[in-house]
This record gives sequence, C-alpha cells and structure tokens, in this order.
Amino acid sequence: MSDTNPERTGGGSERTDGGTEVGSEVVSGGHTDDHDHDHGHDFPGTGSIKRWFVTTNHKDVGILYIVTSLFFLVLGGVLAWLMRIQLWAPRAPTETILAPVAYNQAVSAHGLLMVFWFLSPFAFGFANYVVPLQLGAKDLAFPRLNALSYWLYLFSGILFGVSFFQGGTFSGGWTMYAPLNVPTFTPDVGASTAVLALVLFVASVTVSSVNFLTTMHRMRAEGLTLRNMPLFSWTILLTVWMMLFAFAALLAALMVLSADRLLGTTYFAMESPAGALLWTHLFWFFGHPEVYIVFFPALGVMAEVFQTFTGRRIVGRKWFIIAMVLVAIQSFVVWMHHMFLTSINLQVKTLFMITTIGISLPFDLMVFALIYTMLKGKIRFTTPFLFVFGALLLFIIGGITGVFLGAVVLDYEFRGTYWVVAHFHYVMVGGVTALVGGLYYWFPKITGRMYDEFLGKVHFAAYFVGFNLLYFPLFVAWETPRRVFDYAPELAPWHQLATIGGFVLGLSFLIMFYNLFKSAFTGDPVSDNPWEYATTAEWAVSSPPPLENFEGTPTYRDGHLSFILDRESDATGGATAADGSGGATADGGVATSPHTAVTTEYEPTVEATEVEGPSHASIWPFVLSLGAFLILLGISPLQDTAFPEGMMGAAYATTAVAGFGVTLGSLIAMGLEPFHGPVFDEGEAWPFSGIDNGKVGMWIFLASDVVLFGGFLGAYIFTRFAFGWTGWQPVPDDPIPGLVNTYILLTSSFTVVLALVAAEKKHKLGLVTSLGATFVLGIGFLVNKALEWQHLFHEGLWLSTNVRTSTFFLTTGLHAAHVIAGLIVALYLTARAWRGAYLEDSRSVEYFGLYWHFVDIVWLFLFPLFYIL
Amino acid sequence: MVSTKFYTAIYVVLFVSATIQVLVEFAGLAYWAAFGIIIVLSAAKAVLVAAYFQHLRWEPRSLTYLVGIGLVAALALTVAASYSLL
Repeated sequence: MSDTNPERTGGGSERTDGGTEVGSEVVSGGHTDDHDHDHGHDFPGTGSIKRWFVTTNHKDVGILYIVTSLFFLVLGGVLAWLMRIQLWAPRAPTETILAPVAYNQAVSAHGLLMVFWFLSPFAFGFANYVVPLQLGAKDLAFPRLNALSYWLYLFSGILFGVSFFQGGTFSGGWTMYAPLNVPTFTPDVGASTAVLALVLFVASVTVSSVNFLTTMHRMRAEGLTLRNMPLFSWTILLTVWMMLFAFAALLAALMVLSADRLLGTTYFAMESPAGALLWTHLFWFFGHPEVYIVFFPALGVMAEVFQTFTGRRIVGRKWFIIAMVLVAIQSFVVWMHHMFLTSINLQVKTLFMITTIGISLPFDLMVFALIYTMLKGKIRFTTPFLFVFGALLLFIIGGITGVFLGAVVLDYEFRGTYWVVAHFHYVMVGGVTALVGGLYYWFPKITGRMYDEFLGKVHFAAYFVGFNLLYFPLFVAWETPRRVFDYAPELAPWHQLATIGGFVLGLSFLIMFYNLFKSAFTGDPVSDNPWEYATTAEWAVSSPPPLENFEGTPTYRDGHLSFILDRESDATGGATAADGSGGATADGGVATSPHTAVTTEYEPTVEATEVEGPSHASIWPFVLSLGAFLILLGISPLQDTAFPEGMMGAAYATTAVAGFGVTLGSLIAMGLEPFHGPVFDEGEAWPFSGIDNGKVGMWIFLASDVVLFGGFLGAYIFTRFAFGWTGWQPVPDDPIPGLVNTYILLTSSFTVVLALVAAEKKHKLGLVTSLGATFVLGIGFLVNKALEWQHLFHEGLWLSTNVRTSTFFLTTGLHAAHVIAGLIVALYLTARAWRGAYLEDSRSVEYFGLYWHFVDIVWLFLFPLFYIL
Repeated sequence: MVSTKFYTAIYVVLFVSATIQVLVEFAGLAYWAAFGIIIVLSAAKAVLVAAYFQHLRWEPRSLTYLVGIGLVAALALTVAASYSLL
C-alpha cells in the first residue's frame, strides 16, 4: 500500500528484488574510520575485553552470538558422542558405559542444548550481524535490549550447565513430557534448574523478538518495501513473528512446570485430569512452529547463497515469499500431529493430518524454486554453495520422510522409533548445514579476510559423508526404540556405522575451526564484496562494516541502493580507526560489481544534528542478566515453596535475594542511564508507520503477553473441561473481594489516564498525584489479595491442595506478579515526575499506561472465570 | 483528543458493568445463560479499555490487528485443545 516505489522498469541492469544491485566503491575508508572515532571515546576497541561486556552494537552482538552458539554446538556434540559410544552395541542396564540415568540426561541435554542453545542463536548471530545492514539501518531499534538478549542467552546457557552439578540435569527427554517432568519422577534439583534455564532463554527470545520486529517493520531504508526486502531478512522476519507467539506459549508451559516443581502446584501430576495431555498441547503449540523457527533462517541462507553463486535471482521470488508466509501461518495449526498416539479424538487427528499435508505443499514450491534457480543459473562451487546445496539435498530427504509421520496410520508404527530420530536430524541438522554455509559466506564480511577455500571444501566433504553415515543408517535401523540404549542385536552394524559417522561429522568441525581461526588473522584481505553477483546491501560497505554501518543515509528510492551524505559527517576529516578491526578493509577496493549502481548524493543537512550521536556502550544488560541468573539459581532448590534445610538452603536463599537486588538495581540504573538509540529518518515502516518505535515495541510485547496469559487461561479452561466444567466450583466462595479488586484496578486504570492527560497539559502536580494514586491503588489491590489468600490458606486451600486451587493461585498469582512489576515502574515514574520529568515528553507515561491497562483487561477475565463462574 | 469528562464516563460504565456481573450471578439464572451474559460483559469491558484507555481507536489499525493475532492464537489453542478431549 504505502509502497511508494519508483517504477523499476528502466535500465535492465537493475534488479528489483531484495537484491538491489550494489557496487563496491561507495565511500572511502577514511570516512568510515572517523565514524568509529567520533563515538569511540567511551567505547573501547574490539581488542579490549571491556568492549565485549559493554557493547550494544548489533555486529558485536552478532559475533558474540555466533561464538557462544558454537561453544554450545561443541557441548551438545560431545554429549551426542557419548550416546553414540554407548550405542555401539546393545547393552543391558548393568553393563553400560554411561549409567542409565546419565544416558537419559545426555539424551535430554543434547536435545535441549542443540535446539535452544545452538541452532537458533547461531542463526540469530547472522541475523544480528546482517539484517540491519540489509535493511539500511544503523542498528536495531533498541540496542541495549539487543545486548540484553545476548546476555540472557549466555546466562541461561550457564544456568543449564550448572544443572549438571546439582545432582544431575533433566533426564526426561527434550520434550519434557508430563508426568515425567514433575519432581516425583525427576527429583534432582538440576532438573528444576534446567527448566528455569529454559525460562531465562525464553526471556531472551522474547526481548529479541520485540526488538527485531520493531526494527524490521519500522527501520527499513526509504524504498525498501517488504516486497523488496532480501530473502534472508524475509526469513528472519517470519521467524521472529513465529517466535513472538510460539515462545509465549512455551513460556506459559514452562512457568506452569516451574510452579509444579518449585511451588507444588499439580497441573501435570498423575492424578490431575488430562495433565499429561495439557503439557503436550502447550509444548507442541510451541514446538511445531519451533521447527520452522530453527529452519527458516537456514532457508534464508540457502536463498541468498543460491542467488549469489548461481548469479541469478531466485526463480519465482514472489511465490517463494508467499509460500514462506503460508508456512509461518500454517505452522500454528499442525501441532497435534505430534500427538497422534495420545488420547485425543480421531476427528481432530484427521483434521491435523490434513493440515500437516497442507503445510508440505508450500515447501514443495520452495524446493522447486531453488532447484530451478540452479538450472537457470551458472553455478560456482564455492564452499558456501556446497554447504547450502548439500543442505537442500538433506532437507529433501528429511522432508519426505516426515510426510510418513504425518499420516496417522503410519505414525502408529513409527512413533517413538529411530525413524523419527533420523527424520528430524535430517531436517534440523540439514538446517545446520545451510547455516554453516552461511558462516563461510559471511566470514569475509565479518572478519575482512577470506577463509581457505581448499580447507573449506575438505570440511564439506568430511561433513557430508559424516552426516549421511551418521543419520542414514538410523532409517534402516528404524525399529530401534527412541531414547533407549538397548536394541535388537541384529541392528548393531547399522548403529556402528552411525557411530563412525558421528565421529566423522564431529571431527570435520575441527577443520572448520582451524580454518576460520587461522584465516581470521592471516587470511587474504577482502574487498567490500568478495563474491561476484552478491547483491544485498551488506556487500556495499567495507569488510568489516564501520561501526554505524553506512556513510550517510541509505535509500532505495531510485530502485537501487544509494547513500545520501550530509555535509557534516563529510567534513570531519580522516582519523585513525578506533575499531581495532585491522587495516584489511576494502579502502582501495575497486568496483568489481558488473553493474555499479551505487551513487552518492550530497544533500544539505536539514537539521543540525542535535545529539552527539548514538551510544554504543552499556554495562547494564550484562548486570541485569547476571541478576536474573542469580535469582533463578537461588530458587532452583525450592520444593513446595520451601528451601531445603540447613546451610545449603540458606546459601540458595541468599543467592536469590542478592539476585533480586542486582536485578532491581540494574533496571533502575538502565532507566537513568543516558543512552541514545540509533537516529533514523523514517523510511519504509509498513504497517507501523507514524507510530513511535517505543510504542510499537510495547504493543508487540503485549501481543506476546496476550499469548502468555492465553496459555495460562487455556490451561485452566482445558483442565476444567477435562474435570467436568460445571462440577468445578470457584475456589473463593465469595465473589465480593474479587469485585472490590475489580473496582480498585479499574480506578487505577482511570488514574493512569488522568496522569497522561495531566502530563500532556504540563500539569506537574496532576501528574504526580495521579501516578501516586495509581501506586496506592495497586498496593490496595495487592493487600486485598493477600488478605483473601491468607483467608483461603487458613481454610486449608493452597497451591498444592488440588488442581482447582493450583489453577486459581497460579493464574491470579501471575497476574499479581504483573501488578507488582507495574507498581515498581509506577514508583519510578512518580519519583521522576516529582523531579519534573515527563512534562515535555510524556511517552514513558503513555507506554506504562498501555501495560497497566492490559493488566487491567486480564483481570476483567480472571475475575469472572475464577470468582463467579 | 478527548476530554476528561469522556474518560470519566467510560470509567463509570466499566464500574457499573462489573457490578452487573456479580448481580447476574446472584440473580439465580440458569448457569449457561448467566455464563453468556457475564463473558459478554467482560469482553465488552475489555474492548472499552483497549479502545479508549489504550486509545487503540485513534491508532493505526495495524496495532489492533497485532493484538488480535495474539488473541486468535490463544483462542485457537484453547478451543482446539479442549475439543481434542471430546
């Protein structure tokens, strides 16, 4: 709609897809350097350790993600090796190499680490690095939140690591099926810690989703409409949309599970009606979109690399995008195909079999588009291409074998066997294959140096042979039961082949690590664009790109990438690089692009740049994540809301309290810290044009919170439905305290409205009074609730009494936690308003109001559902 | 935009309809009739808060759709999961 694109019919050389033609000689390196220098006085160079703790720059964060995720690849890989060694021969439980429970832990931890801590973060390393460049943005919309995402991710991984040392980590499989996931069956503290580590990971993902969605919708360069966005960015956009909603459902599942483990609620206990089924619904509502969440970025890499190394625009680009959008939507309506062997009814199984077949159709289109692109183009077999081409082959095998599982009747036979294991490794590790291709593809951009092509090809050969040697025999030995180390002796040769393959595959990465590590320091320096026919915008800037990505403002308004330079940035003369990223940049790099389409224009600066430029450093994301880590570590040994006896319990409790202090302190520090996000002139912003970034971010977050509460309410409704709807009485026998709280909350919403009105009228006293009144009313709400809970407690009703009380206390408790979070913000706002803030710029008050009203709306449903009906 | 008086009117409507919900409960209607009235009132209140207090009415419609998508996802999960029990 608002795509006010110039017509792009002219000049046959220009490509109108995401790949707009770019040349290499954009601006000289001198300008590049002084940008770093300008804002570099409080921002250490890449050689300094401090830099990596304080950085908020998207490229740094991208590198951190990539390196960290590769560490988790090694960890998950070693666990896989342990399993493969054990599987060399079928073994009785008494003669195993790993103890039986240790094997179960290895299986579970391998799955969780690879899916959550390796695959997605690896892809998001590239997303962080490349997407803003492809969009023409100087950074993500909220750089500090981006750093926060990374640190939450790292600390969640550390927390998972800690779980191994707390009596053993989770051992119930990566799907964490109920009731195996409750302490009755997995009693170790480490099992709880693993669940909490996942909670922290989901927090990271949520922050990241909000950030990427705001950035990708709001901060595209002028002329870069969604229709013209490069395919890698497209896949990331769809991925973050899926993440936003899918991970919110997982968060609901994990919070309920944490409550079952730590607080003693009984959602998933054996005696709860349909407790096991509830977990599968919540988990797979997340879990199926998750398949595409991890696969889509790989698909994006495939598309980019195919285009570059066939020298051809992808065939049917528009249809390729439409197919991906369809898959993203359909991914939310296929989850029950993971549940064909549960007690769900036959009608719903049939329905989900149909939707599952439906989701394979768009993929067919994508696969054919990629194949046809190869046929029509002229292939150059570089390392990145080999990897993505291999990935395509593997994905085809993985996809076809998956169709078998989508059929109800066949699934009755295949479920719980190695067919499933082989299938999803072909899909998932097939995706990894493409991402490894992406690593080679963007390596010269990130480091400014070229890897060794010969070693790259050797890596591919070893990788591809190892992969198929590992996973293909598993199809043949499909009758092996999944997750179990004992199997029929006649299958042993296949398992031995697989074990050999596992070592070949794993060791092949040594070649890569050696190659990339060595090349990062001694490889041949590369120009802006070492790949002929690479067309996306990251190849139009130096390798590595300058701190703020572009000289001037990128624009696509003439149908190709060009830069509007303002005189001011041009005038600040040459300085030395503060980036420390080596002199290997492409300064002298002469244009190699066949159609040099980059133009540089000079336009007078419209406004004298009022601020001193964007900030790039903040330590608070790191500290905040550390605080969250300490809280979760501290509460990990809770059972039935009680810490263990003695010193150990006291130490844990102290850790949790310290964590709260650190978290709260760093939140306040972050609020007070002067930090300027990237300055941007609004380019393409569909469909959120004209709305402030902060407001868009808040609404996106609230949309995910809708799904979080939806998950909790859905769990309540589902459980009540299984129990017998009308046989279930509300826990409080009197609705009046609930009604009073409804009055209080509605009134507090009204006072927030009054606060905003006062702020807009620059009426300081009104603002302070209204915010203060909101705070007092919120406290009143909590006091009233506390009295009510105390009353119920004395009647013998508490979290663990039965599933009815569990749902009541946990759901209203989650709401109360939202109220408490809101009150902390309200207190902060009141204090700042007292000192005269928000009269010039009332946006903070407005965004707080959006949150507070949302909490009010939730209560409007909780009240009837838990008090009246 | 809108006057304080208007916001006050909205607030009064919300306050009254919360009261009506409890009165409906005490009125001794058939369970599902009362259920219907009470849920519809809750939904109506939610719409009022979103439209006026969160001023979605004056925002670009895309924000409303955004929240709507979340709502649809949550409802799809709840309804399909409950149906699967039948």
